[in-house]
Amino acid sequence: MSDDEEMVGYRQQPGKISFSRPGSGGKDQFSTLRDEGMIPESQGGNKSQPWGSHRHDELVTSSAIGKRTPLIDSREKVTGRAKYGDDIRLPNELIGKILRSPHHFARIKSVDTSAAEALPGVIAIATGADASAKFGVLPVTKDEHALAVNLVRHVGDLVAAVAAEDEATALHALQLIDVDYEILDSIHDMKEGLENSENPIHDRGEYHIGEANIQKRVYQEFGEVDNVSENAAATHHSNWTFGGINHGFTEPHAAVANWDSRGRLTLYTPQQVPHYLHRSLADVLEIPMHQINVYRTFVGGGFGGKSDPFPHEMCAAILARKSGRPVRITFDREEVFLTNRGRHPSHIEMNLHADSQGRLCGIETDALIDGGSFASFGHVTTYYNGVLHTAPYEIGAFHYTGARVWTNKPASGAMRGHGAVNSRCAVEVGLDDLADQLQVDPMTLRLANLLPPLSATITGFRITSTGMRECLEKVRKASDWENKFRKLPLGHGIGIGCGFFISGSGLPIHWDPNKFPHATVHLKIDMDGGVTVHTGAADIGQGSDTVVAQSVAEVLGLPLDMIRVRSQESDTSPVDLGSYSSRVTFMNANAAISAAMKIRQELLDATAEITGADAAHMVIGDRRIYVKRDPAVGVSYLEALHKAQEERGALVASGAYRTPPMGRAHKGAAAGLAPAYSFSAYAAEVKVDVETGQTKVINVWAAHDCGKALNPLSVEGQIIGSCHMGMGQVLSEEMVYGRTGHLMNGNLLDYKIPTIHEMPHVTPIIVESNDPEGPFGAKEAGEGPLLPILPAVCNAVYDAVGIRVDELPITPDRIHRNIEKLCRAQGVSDPLDLTTPKLKLSSLQETLAKRAAEHEQRDIDRRNNDGIEPYHNGALFGYDPTLPADEQSDEWKVSVIPTSEYLAEPRLAGSAWKHTERRHRGESS
Amino acid sequence: MPNNLAEAMEVAGRFIAAGEEFDWIAGGTDLIPNYKWHLNPKPNVISLANISELNQLTRTHIGAMVRLQDLTENEEMHPLLATAAGSIASVMIRRSATVGGNICLDTRCFWYNQSEDWRQSIDWCHKCDCGTEADCRVIQNQNDLCVATYQADLAPALICLNATIHLASPNGLREMPLSDFFELDGMKKNVLNRGEIVTHITLLEDSYSLIGTYHKLSQRETWDFPEAGIAATWDGKSLSSLKIASTGIESIPRDHSEQVEAAIESWNGSQSIDELSESVRKSVKPVNNTGFQPSYRRKMVKVLTRRSLKQLGIK
Repeated sequence: MSDDEEMVGYRQQPGKISFSRPGSGGKDQFSTLRDEGMIPESQGGNKSQPWGSHRHDELVTSSAIGKRTPLIDSREKVTGRAKYGDDIRLPNELIGKILRSPHHFARIKSVDTSAAEALPGVIAIATGADASAKFGVLPVTKDEHALAVNLVRHVGDLVAAVAAEDEATALHALQLIDVDYEILDSIHDMKEGLENSENPIHDRGEYHIGEANIQKRVYQEFGEVDNVSENAAATHHSNWTFGGINHGFTEPHAAVANWDSRGRLTLYTPQQVPHYLHRSLADVLEIPMHQINVYRTFVGGGFGGKSDPFPHEMCAAILARKSGRPVRITFDREEVFLTNRGRHPSHIEMNLHADSQGRLCGIETDALIDGGSFASFGHVTTYYNGVLHTAPYEIGAFHYTGARVWTNKPASGAMRGHGAVNSRCAVEVGLDDLADQLQVDPMTLRLANLLPPLSATITGFRITSTGMRECLEKVRKASDWENKFRKLPLGHGIGIGCGFFISGSGLPIHWDPNKFPHATVHLKIDMDGGVTVHTGAADIGQGSDTVVAQSVAEVLGLPLDMIRVRSQESDTSPVDLGSYSSRVTFMNANAAISAAMKIRQELLDATAEITGADAAHMVIGDRRIYVKRDPAVGVSYLEALHKAQEERGALVASGAYRTPPMGRAHKGAAAGLAPAYSFSAYAAEVKVDVETGQTKVINVWAAHDCGKALNPLSVEGQIIGSCHMGMGQVLSEEMVYGRTGHLMNGNLLDYKIPTIHEMPHVTPIIVESNDPEGPFGAKEAGEGPLLPILPAVCNAVYDAVGIRVDELPITPDRIHRNIEKLCRAQGVSDPLDLTTPKLKLSSLQETLAKRAAEHEQRDIDRRNNDGIEPYHNGALFGYDPTLPADEQSDEWKVSVIPTSEYLAEPRLAGSAWKHTERRHRGESS
Repeated sequence: MPNNLAEAMEVAGRFIAAGEEFDWIAGGTDLIPNYKWHLNPKPNVISLANISELNQLTRTHIGAMVRLQDLTENEEMHPLLATAAGSIASVMIRRSATVGGNICLDTRCFWYNQSEDWRQSIDWCHKCDCGTEADCRVIQNQNDLCVATYQADLAPALICLNATIHLASPNGLREMPLSDFFELDGMKKNVLNRGEIVTHITLLEDSYSLIGTYHKLSQRETWDFPEAGIAATWDGKSLSSLKIASTGIESIPRDHSEQVEAAIESWNGSQSIDELSESVRKSVKPVNNTGFQPSYRRKMVKVLTRRSLKQLGIK
């Protein structure tokens, strides 16, 4: 372009060199044409839509969504520039260390810190007396203190904290603190927690259940519970023991607290859920939230283990306030294990019943879960152990009893697949057994019992999209199932497992959903054309920054390098509820899209003003806005932007997401409600050394329905990573407690996370069911993919050697013990002579295959039809699908209170209901 | 930091004369984690890093400071040693860890390999009693014997290759068959006196005519210490050349010549393989202080022995 060319709107003063006409922005000088292959059919593009159109179709610009995109912060990480918790270095910092309880359960009679205070280099010491307010992630169960007040509840419970000039001094000071304890009887067996105790670990006041250590109990029965056993043609019964699992993230917890000269606190911490920490800090420090800036650092893995507000974060803030200097606390690995919040050790009793038509006429689950010493997310976990296996199958009856007890161990909490993993494993292994008993293929059994799209589960969850059937079909094909199942030699087997998980929790933890959104995104675009995205969504390595950037880039037709995400500080970020329950992509990307749509409209309007064309006929391409039918009529993105900014400067927009009203009315109906659900099916191929009991997973075919893969690279990473993590739980990981009640393996040598050598070849298969409410159709891919690997491996072990696993992890010694038993049962002395299960199909197989084929057509009809009728669980059992079954018949129960009949003979966790709450006993605490 | 063996002995001699405690440090992959957990740390360490005499590696001479990874990568080396060394820890650790350090590996026990706070919480144990005369936590009500487990992988392989170990101390040099080096007790572990170090291991050229196997029981294929390990060698012809040694079972590695000799007296083909494997199993007594249950580890000794013998082509 020559200098003397006329440039409308960008003329320089006479005699000066004129500006160049604004280009398109971005790194490349020229914008590129839209890739019609990525534009949906509904918009006249070439992308086929077998699952129908989507409300976001018109926003598709082929810029970012659906492309394999390296995470936008990956360069920071691989070059070592990323600042994790312990990388924060503030001038004049002190080192904080924590004195921890050596006792499982004790009353603190006195704490004498005088000798420690006298040690040169010690600047501040805090004890329970410095912060009396309780906190906890759930408002209904705030039971934690920054430092122990009165009681210590497990070995490693926090007693005092020291801030000193250096680590050695701080550690020395800890030794000088004199604590006088009165040791109390501790409990370690979760079954004991169900009984009354002289000193319950917590006192819930009038809500205390009996005098026991029961933190939460759940009773639910739905459907034709009375006739289950009579209707059953096959019944599976199992009693599972699941070891406790730690998240095993790479980065240990760390926190840096700094009070500025205006009396405001900034807390730097690798948090998944900065907002709930923000609230807890305000409670504990007794200052208003606006005086606190929570700064989320890079997070070196979370998996649920960094989603509670933590005592050490409070301690850093308290010590920093006392000392007037920044305080940094970093954990060693043992402290990470003592903080835990990992998967609950559990006893799960699972009864499954199938009727003569191969329908799942009953699931009866009893789950006793070991919460350790604090509530954490346990209230929710107790529900999730039941309600999250009410799908993907249509069931005739669902009976669930769950109880979470306190024991004197590090607290259990939320971990990837929260509450769903263990009971899902039990269900899927049970289905394998039912298939065996009914002499049908376990894939077909599943395919003939699936809920359709746009349906309601037995407890009233709203299923929108489901790609469960496609997951199963694809895995069957990819794994060469027909030629392998029950046909491989001894020690070599294949197994199937499915999964179902929430895509975001329908109800937020802390507030009335009618008053606040779950996620909010702010956009700001100044004259440079770059888009600043403000979001509180916590990128914990899962790629939430990337997804929000992709969503904005897609709507505005911009390359990713023009999007910058600011998500770290609560001072600048709108509130997001946090990275838990696989909610971020669904909710935050929806919020981002809604903000970007506002900007988009302004750009279209500006373009209309410049060109005189009608905004309704325009589309956005790569940094260019033009008339769809005549691309020559249009302007560059920057021209449109500058026009839009003429009167008001930088464009800003806010978008938010709130879940729609959902669910039924019974107590606990909200637990497990989600705006959408993910589905998955994995086949695992294993080799079992029958002489040593060692199991090696060699292949996994992993199909996951994530609605729409906004970033397929990320989705595949989540699938492969989930296989690794789930395989750890099934093969080798377990928090082992010894005969003294101590954690025996609180380090990464003895806590056996699989290495690269243990990893099978994983074939990730993405199924896109195009969720109507998900952003561009997307659902979660963060937690759901973990669920199927456990049962798939267990079922493959059965195929390989004929052992029905009921204890995880399946360490070689455990498998070997079972092989010895099997040898005795089969009367062989050499395990190499064992006989493995064989497949003999019964006539039911044909019935199921026929029903599966009918259902396949039913599902296709439902998803491509706008005016479809409701479908409620129960239709398969003869009820009118358009109404909830309980509204049609008294036989169909809905109850959340146990009957006296049940209480006469309760199951294990169900026995929690034999106690009466204090308030109903006419007593008070 | 001493620059040759003589200087090292002199430094050690000075500490001994002054009554000061010290440890030798080679690769540090065993010592430093233990020090971090305050497991019997000493106020002084003498580094062997600069003593070039200890680095020599030939077919018949393996210096104590030779890195484990070098054993696995040296094509001249006996394949059995490369296999055993390659099963240890991970590549990164093996690049630091040394042959001498592996031979002298501290014994391990889940009541012992824990942080200081943890051990204090169980009132310590015999192996690191911090002056309390605490009992052993594995075999209770006694504090005479430490039953911590020896979990080094090289020892059984070297024993089966008839290796000789060479020691140096301020009082002079000595050597002995490797199987005589170990001394039953999880704390004493071996014959080393204060100030004495392993300088090198020698193999006879004849050892290279032996073929060998090493079978290791562990949860994972890398990183883990052996829960049981069986090495075996023979010359491919004569049963009298057969040697079997085990590790990861007791406080010291075991040479199973006694069981082998008894078995070959009346060898009867595959039945004898079973019987010999069974007698090796019976001869070991693991205790409950590692990841797997002792009864299982003991049973696996039999399985691994049988596999070793079959792999060697013994009939």
